[in-house]
Amino acid sequence: MPTEYTTLVSALADTGYPCAEYGWKTRPDGTYLVVGLDYEAGRLEGDGAKADRAFSVSVDAFFRKIADRAAVAGKVESVLASCLGDSWELNSIQYEQETGLFHIEWTGEVCGTITAPPEPVPDTEPEATEDGDA
Amino acid sequence: MGYTMKTEGLDDLSKMLNQLGEQAGKVAAVGLYDGAGVMADEIKRQAKSIKADKFHYAVFPPNVTRNPSVEEKEAVTKASAGIAKFDKNGGAVETSVGYSNSGYWNIRGKMKPVPLIANSINSGTSFMKRQPFFRKAVTKGTPKATNAIVRTAEAKIEEIINQSGG
Repeated sequence: MPTEYTTLVSALADTGYPCAEYGWKTRPDGTYLVVGLDYEAGRLEGDGAKADRAFSVSVDAFFRKIADRAAVAGKVESVLASCLGDSWELNSIQYEQETGLFHIEWTGEVCGTITAPPEPVPDTEPEATEDGDA
Repeated sequence: MGYTMKTEGLDDLSKMLNQLGEQAGKVAAVGLYDGAGVMADEIKRQAKSIKADKFHYAVFPPNVTRNPSVEEKEAVTKASAGIAKFDKNGGAVETSVGYSNSGYWNIRGKMKPVPLIANSINSGTSFMKRQPFFRKAVTKGTPKATNAIVRTAEAKIEEIINQSGG
Protein backbone atom coordinates (compact mmCIF):
# COMPACT_ATOMS: atom_id res chain seq x y z
CA MET A 1 0.00 0.00 0.00
CA PRO A 2 1.23 3.54 -0.68
CA THR A 3 2.77 4.94 2.49
CA GLU A 4 0.88 8.22 2.15
CA TYR A 5 -2.36 6.23 2.11
CA THR A 6 -1.58 4.16 5.21
CA THR A 7 -0.57 7.28 7.13
CA LEU A 8 -3.77 8.97 5.96
CA VAL A 9 -5.92 6.07 7.23
CA SER A 10 -4.23 6.03 10.64
CA ALA A 11 -4.36 9.84 10.91
CA LEU A 12 -8.10 9.83 10.10
CA ALA A 13 -8.66 7.18 12.78
CA ASP A 14 -6.89 9.50 15.24
CA THR A 15 -9.42 12.31 14.63
CA GLY A 16 -11.79 10.61 17.05
CA TYR A 17 -14.50 9.90 14.48
CA PRO A 18 -15.11 6.24 13.57
CA CYS A 19 -13.37 5.60 10.25
CA ALA A 20 -13.64 2.56 7.98
CA GLU A 21 -11.94 1.63 4.74
CA TYR A 22 -14.26 1.09 1.74
CA GLY A 23 -17.47 1.77 3.64
CA TRP A 24 -19.30 0.39 6.63
CA LYS A 25 -21.30 -2.80 6.49
CA THR A 26 -23.44 -1.53 9.36
CA ARG A 27 -23.04 2.23 9.61
CA PRO A 28 -22.55 3.85 13.03
CA ASP A 29 -24.75 6.56 14.50
CA GLY A 30 -23.51 10.13 14.48
CA THR A 31 -20.50 11.42 12.60
CA TYR A 32 -18.37 8.90 10.74
CA LEU A 33 -15.75 8.73 8.01
CA VAL A 34 -15.09 6.48 5.01
CA VAL A 35 -11.76 6.28 3.20
CA GLY A 36 -10.66 4.24 0.20
CA LEU A 37 -8.26 3.83 -2.71
CA ASP A 38 -10.32 4.04 -5.89
CA TYR A 39 -8.24 3.47 -9.03
CA GLU A 40 -4.90 4.15 -10.67
CA ALA A 41 -5.03 7.79 -11.70
CA GLY A 42 -1.69 8.11 -13.45
CA ARG A 43 1.67 6.49 -14.05
CA LEU A 44 5.19 7.22 -15.14
CA GLU A 45 6.42 4.59 -17.53
CA GLY A 46 9.83 3.84 -18.89
CA ASP A 47 11.79 0.84 -20.15
CA GLY A 48 8.63 -1.24 -20.21
CA ALA A 49 8.02 -0.79 -16.50
CA LYS A 50 6.04 1.49 -14.24
CA ALA A 51 8.50 3.74 -12.48
CA ASP A 52 5.91 5.55 -10.38
CA ARG A 53 2.17 5.32 -9.90
CA ALA A 54 -0.52 7.64 -8.58
CA PHE A 55 -3.73 6.35 -7.02
CA SER A 56 -6.97 8.21 -6.55
CA VAL A 57 -8.05 8.30 -2.92
CA SER A 58 -11.36 9.47 -1.52
CA VAL A 59 -12.50 10.51 1.94
CA ASP A 60 -16.18 10.88 2.87
CA ALA A 61 -17.58 12.40 6.04
CA PHE A 62 -21.19 11.89 7.12
CA PHE A 63 -22.78 13.93 9.91
CA ARG A 64 -26.27 14.82 11.04
CA LYS A 65 -26.10 18.40 12.37
CA ILE A 66 -25.11 21.34 10.22
CA ALA A 67 -23.45 22.83 13.30
CA ASP A 68 -20.88 19.99 13.15
CA ARG A 69 -19.84 20.91 9.64
CA ALA A 70 -17.00 23.29 10.53
CA ALA A 71 -15.53 20.92 13.13
CA VAL A 72 -15.67 17.81 10.91
CA ALA A 73 -14.41 19.55 7.77
CA GLY A 74 -11.66 21.31 9.71
CA LYS A 75 -10.35 18.10 11.24
CA VAL A 76 -10.44 16.11 8.00
CA GLU A 77 -8.89 18.89 5.94
CA SER A 78 -6.02 19.39 8.39
CA VAL A 79 -5.32 15.62 8.17
CA LEU A 80 -5.46 15.77 4.35
CA ALA A 81 -3.13 18.77 4.28
CA SER A 82 -0.59 17.08 6.53
CA CYS A 83 -0.70 13.68 4.73
CA LEU A 84 -1.23 14.62 1.07
CA GLY A 85 0.24 18.12 0.87
CA ASP A 86 -1.84 19.97 -1.70
CA SER A 87 -2.86 17.03 -3.91
CA TRP A 88 -6.46 16.92 -2.68
CA GLU A 89 -9.69 18.84 -3.19
CA LEU A 90 -13.18 19.08 -1.80
CA ASN A 91 -15.30 17.39 -4.44
CA SER A 92 -18.86 17.89 -3.23
CA ILE A 93 -21.14 18.73 -0.32
CA GLN A 94 -24.43 16.87 -0.41
CA TYR A 95 -27.53 16.46 1.73
CA GLU A 96 -29.44 13.19 1.82
CA GLN A 97 -33.13 13.84 2.25
CA GLU A 98 -33.98 10.20 3.03
CA THR A 99 -31.55 9.87 5.93
CA GLY A 100 -31.11 13.53 6.89
CA LEU A 101 -27.33 13.22 6.74
CA PHE A 102 -24.83 15.69 5.34
CA HIS A 103 -22.10 14.21 3.15
CA ILE A 104 -18.81 15.93 2.32
CA GLU A 105 -16.57 14.26 -0.21
CA TRP A 106 -12.85 14.88 -0.71
CA THR A 107 -10.70 13.36 -3.41
CA GLY A 108 -6.94 13.29 -3.70
CA GLU A 109 -4.03 11.40 -5.14
CA VAL A 110 -1.28 9.43 -3.46
CA CYS A 111 1.95 8.17 -4.90
CA GLY A 112 3.39 4.72 -4.39
CA THR A 113 2.98 1.05 -5.12
CA ILE A 114 0.00 -1.14 -4.30
CA THR A 115 2.11 -4.12 -3.31
CA ALA A 116 4.57 -4.12 -0.46
CA PRO A 117 8.07 -3.29 -1.61
CA PRO A 118 10.36 -6.31 -1.80
CA GLU A 119 12.56 -7.04 1.17
CA PRO A 120 16.00 -5.56 0.67
CA VAL A 121 18.49 -8.29 -0.05
CA PRO A 122 21.46 -7.95 2.28
CA ASP A 123 24.70 -7.48 0.46
CA THR A 124 26.71 -10.58 1.08
CA GLU A 125 30.19 -10.74 -0.09
CA PRO A 126 31.12 -14.01 -1.65
CA GLU A 127 33.12 -15.99 0.77
CA ALA A 128 36.73 -15.99 -0.08
CA THR A 129 37.87 -19.45 -0.80
CA GLU A 130 41.26 -20.03 0.46
CA ASP A 131 43.25 -22.46 -1.40
CA GLY A 132 45.48 -24.19 0.91
CA ASP A 133 48.77 -22.54 0.59
CA ALA A 134 51.52 -24.72 1.45
CA MET B 1 27.23 44.65 -54.39
CA GLY B 2 23.83 43.14 -53.95
CA TYR B 3 22.01 39.86 -53.82
CA THR B 4 18.72 39.11 -55.45
CA MET B 5 16.48 36.58 -53.75
CA LYS B 6 13.33 35.20 -55.30
CA THR B 7 10.67 33.22 -53.48
CA GLU B 8 7.83 31.52 -55.20
CA GLY B 9 4.55 30.30 -53.86
CA LEU B 10 4.21 32.79 -50.98
CA ASP B 11 0.87 33.94 -52.34
CA ASP B 12 -0.43 30.37 -52.28
CA LEU B 13 0.87 29.85 -48.76
CA SER B 14 -0.74 33.02 -47.41
CA LYS B 15 -4.00 32.13 -49.14
CA MET B 16 -3.91 28.67 -47.57
CA LEU B 17 -3.10 30.03 -44.10
CA ASN B 18 -5.91 32.54 -44.40
CA GLN B 19 -8.32 29.80 -45.31
CA LEU B 20 -7.12 27.71 -42.35
CA GLY B 21 -7.55 30.67 -40.01
CA GLU B 22 -11.09 31.24 -41.19
CA GLN B 23 -11.97 27.61 -40.65
CA ALA B 24 -10.16 27.16 -37.28
CA GLY B 25 -13.43 27.09 -35.35
CA LYS B 26 -14.85 24.46 -37.69
CA VAL B 27 -11.72 22.29 -37.36
CA ALA B 28 -11.88 22.54 -33.56
CA ALA B 29 -15.59 21.68 -33.55
CA VAL B 30 -15.15 18.60 -35.76
CA GLY B 31 -12.30 17.38 -33.53
CA LEU B 32 -14.16 18.11 -30.33
CA TYR B 33 -17.24 16.24 -31.51
CA ASP B 34 -15.17 13.08 -31.96
CA GLY B 35 -13.44 13.60 -28.60
CA ALA B 36 -16.77 14.07 -26.82
CA GLY B 37 -18.04 10.85 -28.42
CA VAL B 38 -15.00 8.95 -27.14
CA MET B 39 -15.59 10.34 -23.64
CA ALA B 40 -19.30 9.39 -23.71
CA ASP B 41 -18.35 5.84 -24.78
CA GLU B 42 -15.82 5.61 -21.96
CA ILE B 43 -18.47 6.68 -19.41
CA LYS B 44 -20.78 3.94 -20.74
CA ARG B 45 -17.97 1.40 -20.58
CA GLN B 46 -17.13 2.25 -16.97
CA ALA B 47 -20.84 2.23 -16.03
CA LYS B 48 -21.05 -1.37 -17.21
CA SER B 49 -18.42 -2.38 -14.63
CA ILE B 50 -20.55 -1.12 -11.69
CA LYS B 51 -21.12 -3.87 -9.16
CA ALA B 52 -24.87 -4.19 -8.54
CA ASP B 53 -26.90 -6.32 -6.13
CA LYS B 54 -30.30 -7.89 -6.60
CA PHE B 55 -32.45 -7.45 -3.48
CA HIS B 56 -35.85 -6.41 -2.21
CA TYR B 57 -35.81 -2.90 -0.78
CA ALA B 58 -38.61 -3.73 1.68
CA VAL B 59 -36.66 -6.42 3.52
CA PHE B 60 -33.41 -4.49 3.52
CA PRO B 61 -32.34 -3.90 7.13
CA PRO B 62 -31.77 -0.29 8.22
CA ASN B 63 -28.24 1.00 8.83
CA VAL B 64 -26.75 -1.44 6.33
CA THR B 65 -24.69 -0.18 3.43
CA ARG B 66 -25.45 -1.79 0.08
CA ASN B 67 -24.29 -1.79 -3.52
CA PRO B 68 -26.43 -0.12 -6.18
CA SER B 69 -29.50 -2.11 -7.18
CA VAL B 70 -29.88 -3.66 -10.63
CA GLU B 71 -32.42 -0.96 -11.61
CA GLU B 72 -30.05 1.81 -10.54
CA LYS B 73 -27.25 0.31 -12.62
CA GLU B 74 -29.63 0.00 -15.59
CA ALA B 75 -30.41 3.71 -15.31
CA VAL B 76 -26.78 4.75 -15.85
CA THR B 77 -25.95 2.08 -18.44
CA LYS B 78 -29.09 2.41 -20.59
CA ALA B 79 -29.90 6.13 -20.27
CA SER B 80 -28.03 8.20 -22.83
CA ALA B 81 -24.85 10.01 -21.80
CA GLY B 82 -25.33 13.11 -23.90
CA ILE B 83 -23.12 15.74 -25.49
CA ALA B 84 -24.13 19.36 -24.81
CA LYS B 85 -24.59 22.04 -27.45
CA PHE B 86 -21.23 23.42 -28.61
CA ASP B 87 -20.29 26.79 -27.20
CA LYS B 88 -18.16 28.58 -29.80
CA ASN B 89 -16.02 31.45 -28.67
CA GLY B 90 -13.78 32.57 -31.53
CA GLY B 91 -11.35 29.73 -32.18
CA ALA B 92 -12.21 27.95 -28.93
CA VAL B 93 -15.06 25.46 -28.72
CA GLU B 94 -16.44 24.02 -25.50
CA THR B 95 -18.89 21.28 -24.68
CA SER B 96 -19.74 18.98 -21.82
CA VAL B 97 -20.53 15.28 -21.70
CA GLY B 98 -22.72 13.73 -19.06
CA TYR B 99 -26.14 12.76 -17.78
CA SER B 100 -27.46 16.34 -17.37
CA ASN B 101 -30.46 15.90 -19.65
CA SER B 102 -30.80 12.12 -19.55
CA GLY B 103 -34.34 12.21 -18.20
CA TYR B 104 -35.87 9.97 -15.57
CA TRP B 105 -35.69 6.28 -14.70
CA ASN B 106 -38.18 4.13 -12.86
CA ILE B 107 -36.81 3.15 -9.44
CA ARG B 108 -39.21 1.37 -7.08
CA GLY B 109 -42.20 2.62 -9.10
CA LYS B 110 -41.08 6.26 -8.89
CA MET B 111 -39.43 8.26 -11.64
CA LYS B 112 -36.04 9.46 -10.42
CA PRO B 113 -33.69 11.79 -12.38
CA VAL B 114 -30.81 9.87 -13.96
CA PRO B 115 -28.14 12.49 -13.00
CA LEU B 116 -29.13 12.03 -9.35
CA ILE B 117 -28.78 8.24 -9.59
CA ALA B 118 -25.43 8.58 -11.36
CA ASN B 119 -24.23 10.97 -8.66
CA SER B 120 -25.32 8.61 -5.86
CA ILE B 121 -23.34 5.74 -7.38
CA ASN B 122 -20.33 7.92 -8.21
CA SER B 123 -20.03 9.67 -4.83
CA GLY B 124 -21.64 7.04 -2.65
CA THR B 125 -24.23 7.78 0.01
CA SER B 126 -24.63 6.75 3.62
CA PHE B 127 -26.54 3.67 2.42
CA MET B 128 -24.73 2.98 -0.87
CA LYS B 129 -21.08 2.12 -1.41
CA ARG B 130 -19.20 4.54 -3.62
CA GLN B 131 -18.19 3.34 -7.09
CA PRO B 132 -16.58 6.34 -8.79
CA PHE B 133 -17.24 5.20 -12.36
CA PHE B 134 -17.65 8.73 -13.70
CA ARG B 135 -14.42 10.12 -12.25
CA LYS B 136 -12.61 7.00 -13.43
CA ALA B 137 -14.04 7.42 -16.94
CA VAL B 138 -12.87 11.03 -17.07
CA THR B 139 -9.35 10.04 -15.95
CA LYS B 140 -9.09 7.09 -18.33
CA GLY B 141 -10.92 8.79 -21.20
CA THR B 142 -8.98 12.08 -21.30
CA PRO B 143 -5.90 10.75 -23.19
CA LYS B 144 -8.14 8.77 -25.57
CA ALA B 145 -10.35 11.81 -26.23
CA THR B 146 -7.31 14.06 -26.73
CA ASN B 147 -5.90 11.61 -29.29
CA ALA B 148 -9.24 11.46 -31.12
CA ILE B 149 -9.48 15.28 -31.22
CA VAL B 150 -5.93 15.65 -32.57
CA ARG B 151 -6.39 12.87 -35.15
CA THR B 152 -9.66 14.26 -36.51
CA ALA B 153 -8.45 17.86 -36.49
CA GLU B 154 -5.28 16.91 -38.39
CA ALA B 155 -7.32 15.05 -41.00
CA LYS B 156 -9.60 18.06 -41.38
CA ILE B 157 -6.65 20.46 -41.73
CA GLU B 158 -5.15 18.24 -44.43
CA GLU B 159 -8.48 18.24 -46.23
CA ILE B 160 -8.61 22.06 -46.19
CA ILE B 161 -5.01 22.31 -47.45
CA ASN B 162 -5.75 19.91 -50.30
CA GLN B 163 -8.90 21.82 -51.22
CA SER B 164 -7.03 25.13 -51.40
CA GLY B 165 -4.59 23.49 -53.81
CA GLY B 166 -1.61 23.55 -51.47
